[in-house]
Amino acid sequence: MKNFKELLSSSAKAHGHLCPGQAVGVRMAMLGCRLVGLDNPTEHSQIKKLLVYVEMDRCAADAIAHVTGAKLGRRSLKFTDYGIMAATFVNVETGSAFRVISTEEARDLVTLYAPGVRGKASQQLMAYQQMPDSVLFRVQQVRVPVKDSDLPGPTRYKAICSRCGQVVRDRREVLVDGEVLCKPCAHGAYFNEAKEITWPEMNWTPASTGVSREPHRKHDQRILHAHAEIPSH
Amino acid sequence: MIKKIKVQDAVGTKLAHDITEIRPGEFKGPAFRKDHTVCDGDICHLQRLGKDHLYVLDLEQDEIHENDAALILGEALAGDGVRCEGAPKEGKVRLLAERDGLLMVDTAALAAFNMVEEVMCATLHRYTLVKAGELVAATRAIPLVMKRVPIERAAAIAKQNGGVLSVKTLRKAKVGLIITGNEVYHGRIKDRFGPILTEKVKAMGSDVMGVEFAADDADMIGKAIRSHLSKGCDFLLLSGGMSVDPDDVTRHGIRLAGATEVHYGSAVLPGAMFLVAYIGDLPILGVPACALYHKTTILDLVLPRILAGEHVTRAELAFLGHGGLCRDCEECIYPHCPFGKGS
Repeated sequence: MKNFKELLSSSAKAHGHLCPGQAVGVRMAMLGCRLVGLDNPTEHSQIKKLLVYVEMDRCAADAIAHVTGAKLGRRSLKFTDYGIMAATFVNVETGSAFRVISTEEARDLVTLYAPGVRGKASQQLMAYQQMPDSVLFRVQQVRVPVKDSDLPGPTRYKAICSRCGQVVRDRREVLVDGEVLCKPCAHGAYFNEAKEITWPEMNWTPASTGVSREPHRKHDQRILHAHAEIPSH
Repeated sequence: MIKKIKVQDAVGTKLAHDITEIRPGEFKGPAFRKDHTVCDGDICHLQRLGKDHLYVLDLEQDEIHENDAALILGEALAGDGVRCEGAPKEGKVRLLAERDGLLMVDTAALAAFNMVEEVMCATLHRYTLVKAGELVAATRAIPLVMKRVPIERAAAIAKQNGGVLSVKTLRKAKVGLIITGNEVYHGRIKDRFGPILTEKVKAMGSDVMGVEFAADDADMIGKAIRSHLSKGCDFLLLSGGMSVDPDDVTRHGIRLAGATEVHYGSAVLPGAMFLVAYIGDLPILGVPACALYHKTTILDLVLPRILAGEHVTRAELAFLGHGGLCRDCEECIYPHCPFGKGS
């Protein structure tokens, strides 16, 4: 694993800015990886051994993903929306798992660990680099029962929603009164008033040439509007 | 696990903790010690102390008694030059200076330690001059029984920089004094600064190797500095010429002598026109005239810190501002007052 400074710098670049959450996230990931015995999780030999559960969608989550190489699409990064500044690191080979929790008291100690630094964010950024792990984190040893439908690798299970016909992967379907449903049909979704549309230049492919895809041209906007009027079928 | 039993049923059981007795104005201390086996004769005494019930302990593997916890905490807090007094009394462990010197407290680590629930540590102010054997701090775990992990985490926090508390020995410096000012140099008035500075230096255990006098002339001041250095002085104090008058050229003289760092001005009254300079690692203090009048000034705050090996810069002089205002009491009781203790 690269050193903290290098990781902080590359993490900030990947995230888009350097912020206190980057410092906490990078350190959380470094500690988590150390605890589960994966010193270089982005290396080919280790990349499939680590699962990371992040419990917040804040700056630190990006830093954790960056340092560990865990990715949503590889199924090595799990987002559990608890709103808690914590992440759990699981070594799938050994089963060892540690939940690293960012302490609230660390926020109260910022002025003591970075006296004289002006600006709240700058002071936090400095302080979170000065504090030892013992101040910045609490750690729980945990057991994480990982279902085979949550593991990385090819899709093992598919079902079809009996209401909308959508294919549902990885046992995310729901059984309601003996009926197999996708979650939006069973519980409602994060979106509403869905209606299917057509859109301009529908036949574009990456191989298309000489066709502008700028959506802001007046012509396109008219088309977009016209198509949006068409009721869904 | 803690079980509560009636005191009448406690005969034959061992006390789970020290039991304190307070007789106002007369006595405060343990009437019974932990592990004392309760006998018939103790029941009335315990009831007089307000104990109708006692605890019987059966600790789980992940639990720890307050006495064991206090010892772990005490050992972790004690850095170089500080030791635990011994076995906990009434759940507390006292930390003592092992030697004379300047008490150093890692205030960030102390705050982080105290933010862990169920532990506490109270200390003297940092930069207090202490004698060997003097009480500098005390610690305890707050509940009678608690989980072991938070105690171990608090101990780790305490150890982050080798312990929260340490005592630094003041080095025995070879001090050169330079008394500046035309009024003294030309004999218009008698020097009174030399004896005051000499007394303060000696009180810190250092020696004055020699005194030079210089007029308000930067070259002459620079030469006096170099003269002291050539004679082996390793710490210089200059008095006077620190103000804003046209004749005040001491700062210039210090620069001419080759100062590599000069920090002029402190956030302390008396002592705003104090100066700290260095030629390499060798410290030079410019003491303003306020030290002629006031018993305690910025010099009393900075001198021990420099003799303890601290490199004082603009930041240290600025941070003294909080608590840096002397109340100018009729009778000075420093160091038993808040002066200089806010940083």
